[in-house]
Amino acid sequence: MVEAFAVASGKGGTGKTTSTLALGMALATEYDVTVIDADTGMANLLFHAGLDDADVTLHDLLIEERDVQVEDAVYERFGMSVVPCGTSLASFEAADPARLRDVVAELAHDTDVLLLDSPAALGSKSAVLPIVLADRIVVVLQPTVPSLSDGLKVQEYAHSYGTDTAGVVFNRVRPDENVDRIAEQAGRYFGGQALASVPESDAVRAARRAGEPLLAHAPDDPAADAFREAAARLDVRDGDGRDVAERFKSAVVPDRV
Amino acid sequence: MRIPRGALLRSRVVDDPGDVLRTVLDEELTGYVVFEPQDALLLGEATRGVVTFEEGIPVLAYDTERDRGGRDGLEGFAVTGPNRVAVHAVDSEELSDAHETTEFRVPPGEPARVLAGDERLATETTDAAPEPRREEGRDQSAVEAFLADEDAIEAIRSEARDEARARAAEWGLDDVLED
Repeated sequence: MVEAFAVASGKGGTGKTTSTLALGMALATEYDVTVIDADTGMANLLFHAGLDDADVTLHDLLIEERDVQVEDAVYERFGMSVVPCGTSLASFEAADPARLRDVVAELAHDTDVLLLDSPAALGSKSAVLPIVLADRIVVVLQPTVPSLSDGLKVQEYAHSYGTDTAGVVFNRVRPDENVDRIAEQAGRYFGGQALASVPESDAVRAARRAGEPLLAHAPDDPAADAFREAAARLDVRDGDGRDVAERFKSAVVPDRV
Repeated sequence: MRIPRGALLRSRVVDDPGDVLRTVLDEELTGYVVFEPQDALLLGEATRGVVTFEEGIPVLAYDTERDRGGRDGLEGFAVTGPNRVAVHAVDSEELSDAHETTEFRVPPGEPARVLAGDERLATETTDAAPEPRREEGRDQSAVEAFLADEDAIEAIRSEARDEARARAAEWGLDDVLED
């Protein structure tokens, strides 16, 4: 059984990486979860997961000449399998984004849920690929006009490439904001479910500094509760891991542009 | 929109529009910056915009070619990459009339976000802004009004769909396109 979700937002600052790891940890109580930092140009998941010193990362798997196995880049952390990405610009430039398909296909074989932390951009093939490869997207939004506007754009890209919306997380919500009304209005345009409204929290920054996911660093924080609620609402669909792997393998992914 | 000419402090090409936004934030510029994206120039498009500042914090944005202001105006000259920027200082009192053009106002962090895609700089700029301006980007009634405007939302969606299809061809992703 496997379903691949791309956690996407369109632009930075919405807390996408925090959300990816929080959803991953919450889902890991029930499923076998693999988290991949697919934001190969601006990787930061490694800092959130205490993997700053990881020897082998996704970059190594995307560069043809490097002789490493997929499992070398998988780290067991916080109850999940985590595939971090490196931050070297040279590696990013040498990486072949099309190889991501094979990496995802291999990882899909023995996990229940794949979460792809996706780039906060739509301007290149490597930025769009995670959305193309995923079954569904989880859109992370802030209750602001620019964030909603960018979220709508990401969703249209996803739908154009055959990827549905699983749900929407409103993140970094301030105490004076009534997200219920906004979520209700937004529900007319966004597919899937309103998964949760996550309050702005100092614990998120503290967790990042400590190199731990929020749910490990501050499990009792209201933001952590909200992410657990989001994960509980996410209806992970049954699928055959092999089918998914095959689909990834056969997906037409061209040479790099 | 009429902005007093002021004094030209410098004119140069920067790699990224964010560079000049950071500099004028640091030096607390009161005045304006003219942006001319160089890539647009190469394509034969005249693209030019102005952002005004009060002590380093963006106040107005105006697309001089399309005659549009505010966030909409910003989008018109948001081209990443090299920009020719001309930094002008203007006396605060002389700028205050122009700054009353409320429809051209932008939240403090918006130029960094839209022109440079730099969320960190946007946050820093917002944090450095005077208290009443900090909440500008987060006006709930503006969000509700935005979501109530179905035509505007459909325009964003259909533009994104067209873009996704056009880029699919460019990236060779035609085969995954939904009909």
